[in-house]
Amino acid sequence: MNLRKGYSYSKGFLKELFKRDNWEFKKIICIISIVFSSLVAIIGFASVAMSVYVGDMLLKILLGTIAILLSILLFYSYVKLHKKKELASLIVFVVIVFLLAYYMPLFPPQYGLRSYDVDASILKFMIISIILIIVGILSASFSMKPLYNFTSKSSQASAYYFLTVAILLILYPLVIIVGNIVSNGIGGISWEFLTQDVSRHGTKGGVFPALVGTLLIMIGTVFIALPLGIGCAVYLQEYAKKGKIVKVIRIAVDILQGIPSIVHGLFGLAFFVPIFGISLLSGILIMGFLTLPIIIRASEEALRSVPLSLREGSYAVGATKWQTIRRVVLPPALPGIITGTVLGVGRAAGETAPIMFTAVVFMGAGVPTDLFSPIQALPYHLLELTRYIGAYPVDQNAWTTAFLLLAVVLGMNAIAIIIREKYRVEF
Amino acid sequence: MLLPRSLKEELIKYLFFSVAAVSIFIIFFIFFFLFQEAFPAFQEMGWDIFSTNWNVSEGQYGIGAAIFGTIIVTIGAMLIAIPLGILGAIFLSELAPYRLRVILKPIIELLAGVPSIVYGFIGVVLIVRYLQVSFDMLSGYSFLAGSLILGVMALPIIISMSDDAMKAVPRSYKEASLALGATKWETIKKVTMPSSISGISAAVVLGIGRAVGETMAVSLVLGNVMKIPIPPWDMFESTGTTLTSLIVRDMGEATGLQVNALFAGATILFVIVAIMSISSNILRERVEKKFKGG
Repeated sequence: MNLRKGYSYSKGFLKELFKRDNWEFKKIICIISIVFSSLVAIIGFASVAMSVYVGDMLLKILLGTIAILLSILLFYSYVKLHKKKELASLIVFVVIVFLLAYYMPLFPPQYGLRSYDVDASILKFMIISIILIIVGILSASFSMKPLYNFTSKSSQASAYYFLTVAILLILYPLVIIVGNIVSNGIGGISWEFLTQDVSRHGTKGGVFPALVGTLLIMIGTVFIALPLGIGCAVYLQEYAKKGKIVKVIRIAVDILQGIPSIVHGLFGLAFFVPIFGISLLSGILIMGFLTLPIIIRASEEALRSVPLSLREGSYAVGATKWQTIRRVVLPPALPGIITGTVLGVGRAAGETAPIMFTAVVFMGAGVPTDLFSPIQALPYHLLELTRYIGAYPVDQNAWTTAFLLLAVVLGMNAIAIIIREKYRVEF
Repeated sequence: MLLPRSLKEELIKYLFFSVAAVSIFIIFFIFFFLFQEAFPAFQEMGWDIFSTNWNVSEGQYGIGAAIFGTIIVTIGAMLIAIPLGILGAIFLSELAPYRLRVILKPIIELLAGVPSIVYGFIGVVLIVRYLQVSFDMLSGYSFLAGSLILGVMALPIIISMSDDAMKAVPRSYKEASLALGATKWETIKKVTMPSSISGISAAVVLGIGRAVGETMAVSLVLGNVMKIPIPPWDMFESTGTTLTSLIVRDMGEATGLQVNALFAGATILFVIVAIMSISSNILRERVEKKFKGG
């Protein structure tokens, strides 16, 4: 008797709750569901990323129970609110919630990662964790729908949720890469490391010749690529804007920009090495060709931003085309050109493949005395150290070299951004 | 100067023209020298160059397995990079408030600035070891590792180019849609995306080109075994190689016809990437033409 009374009471309570106008309650349920589902996704992601099952049994059971309760409530509210309208999404939702509720509490810890002898279980663990991620994200975005009462705003909310997740996933590798390299590499930076020669296959000593080699490559690249780049950009922007030959030049620049660095390297091997040998000069020439399109692009952009009225003013006072370019057009375009050059040089500092067959040796080159002697370079040094990992104790030196290389390259990028912001000319 | 003014101007013009023509010469030179070195391989092997029979001791240099590996790794990378990249671009161009965008865009460009050898190093010390433990793989050196790294490396180019493409859609298009009562998301889905689809495809094509040609990062994390794995779709245990990593692996010690075969691989790479660049450019030009009037 009492039971029946209680049942009818709770039924009435639920009915009251899910009335169309009981807005507050619906909101709370949805928000809890969103938070919970996101939590599930985060746990799944952490499990995948750290290779251990995050969260102990108790947490899992707790979350699993909440999952079942929430799924029932949400299911109920779905049916109440939309009888047939959103049937398809309802079915998907129910399947998702079922999976969620099923896997969270029933996932036994012995399937965890540490059991190396059961190899199938590891894959199963991974698959389940990935399912958790997907389920969590989907469930969270579906939970947005009742919050906006299934209007077109509701799908906007779920879409925005997806987009935010995507941008977080994009930033994740950057955080991992930069974070790891900085935390592991910064400790190895010392005066000795920067000024000593490589010794004992990179396990001892420093990187001084490699650092010098990289700097020389960077300087040489500027001398090759900057005049050619500015000249090409000036021709394209100032002298000839249309026509067949311009089109061909543009296509050539495009192709040049896309050529894989290893192809540049092989070209250097076939063309420069027979003439100059494995030398600094070969490396500089190839790096110059590699950075040429970057500089052309940036210079064109900079020249294009100089307004036509400046040129017309110059012509009006009787200046020739060349005088106009030299005195009026180039000065305001200079910051943009320098930005592009610095970016290109930064790229040249980090490239390995173009110089590995044409300019560098791992040890013994020292500081080059002339253009025709081989050099050492940071990226190639890092490549060799990476190959030694596992064979020799080079790990610390490899991290430090990676940090140094990253600092050089990203430092160049930062300089480029600073120049662009500081000397930006507004017209 | 004693030269008459007009003559000097003419001379300067031709000087600039000859400088501008340098890039054409470079392209021509690169293709010529690659093909010159590759020609003996094409001549000697004929169509066998595309076979999967790579046997140094017998003098058989078919690079089919490397081509297969390139395709597989690129597909894997694009499965990661295309959806994430397009979603990221939508976030960046349509959703992010100005201040967030100003911070996010350089950060994503930073991803593009990281040298490929650093990606390779991270691949060896983190990803390969992670895969070995987490997926219980034999060594961790696999197509999967290569695809993961390439996917991350192709992301920034796809994001920033798609972002540019979406930003290029005229404001009036979006405003018309919003004025009709569409939500922002409906506008993105039905107006912005369809009108920038050429630009987005240009970004994807260029991303594929970048992935095909990427060298150091991939060569360090692949197993570099010159055969097609069995079964070919096994991403976990399969250790194959790509065209680029084959060149890195063998160029140092190669002699005779093997060198020519490696150059043949480079020539194929060059042709593929050139086609990608040109088609990406055609797509981009189409966008420019489309929005010029409107």
